[in-house]
Amino acid sequence: MMRGFLTFLVFISVIFFPWPLTAVLSLASSFLIPFLPLAVGLFSDTLYYTSGLPLFTLCGSLATGAVLFVRSRLKTGSIGR
Amino acid sequence: MKKTFLSKRNALLSSANISWNFGVLVFALMVLSIRLFVPNFFWYAFTPVFKSANVLAARSHSFLQQFSDTAILALRNEQLTNENIALASENQALIQKMASIEKFICGHLVSTSDVDTKCPQSLKGILAGVVARPPESPYDILVLAAGTRSGVAVGMEVFGAGGVPIGIISSTTTDFSRATLFSSSGIDTLGWVGRNSIPLTISGAGAGTMNAVVARSAGIVAGDMVFVPGPGMLPIGVVSRVDSDISSPSVTLRIQPAINLFSLSWVLIRDTGL
Repeated sequence: MMRGFLTFLVFISVIFFPWPLTAVLSLASSFLIPFLPLAVGLFSDTLYYTSGLPLFTLCGSLATGAVLFVRSRLKTGSIGR
Repeated sequence: MKKTFLSKRNALLSSANISWNFGVLVFALMVLSIRLFVPNFFWYAFTPVFKSANVLAARSHSFLQQFSDTAILALRNEQLTNENIALASENQALIQKMASIEKFICGHLVSTSDVDTKCPQSLKGILAGVVARPPESPYDILVLAAGTRSGVAVGMEVFGAGGVPIGIISSTTTDFSRATLFSSSGIDTLGWVGRNSIPLTISGAGAGTMNAVVARSAGIVAGDMVFVPGPGMLPIGVVSRVDSDISSPSVTLRIQPAINLFSLSWVLIRDTGL
């Protein structure tokens, strides 16, 4: 339920709110859904990317990598419950 | 011996996490593939969502305005009313002047008095609604509801209210187009600044702002207008701040656009040959 609401909110914020708020929301939600920043980065670039580096996809993948690293260091079973 | 089943042995590989991670990635990739293979349909599907976002932004702005000081608002309203009357009369004079210039140019081009039907579209411009704008669009781009069907082509110049140049068309579909704003990072535009028309290169700094470097001896101050070439010298913005380092012979100008890019609702697209 919580995961569904957060996912919906983050994807909607890409269109409805300024991008810094989207970045904060996706980072906050990434502790529950680690691949959300990457997915949101892809979604943002799908909507707005023109030329050069796809910055949001890159930032999203970095954030996902960081979250996965942090989770791998935490004690097994303390997050997934 | 009884076998124990540990479904949540690993926090990363629990079934709930995998399904959500997989789901969001598949959704993003699906949207991306629609955008790549059927871009026109993609923008048709997303335009209502962008429109509802615009309506929400407008309503929340008016709601927040209610909390402002009413005395200040009344004073500001009176000032704006007076300003509006003066601008309306000035506008009428300019419209008359523009119509006569357009008639003269088109008359020469098509040798007919029927300017409205025969005058090339490039001179009159294509009116396009703004679907998405900064700060929602993070790359300083505009998504416009006019594409190749309306005559929009890559490289055409985009103008805001009052004929202020704001960007260049960077990609098009049948019914939609994207404009990269002059304030977009990595975009350089040639222009002039101040009363002495000192040439300078205007660089996009993102978030609707621009920078330029000029010699300290040029004497540019905050409030000086910045112009770009077009039909004459077109105002693109105003110097909002001058940053200087005592050890450097040059200063950095922080340029604010002449119109608010965050509240654009329509633009005019014209082929200026840029």
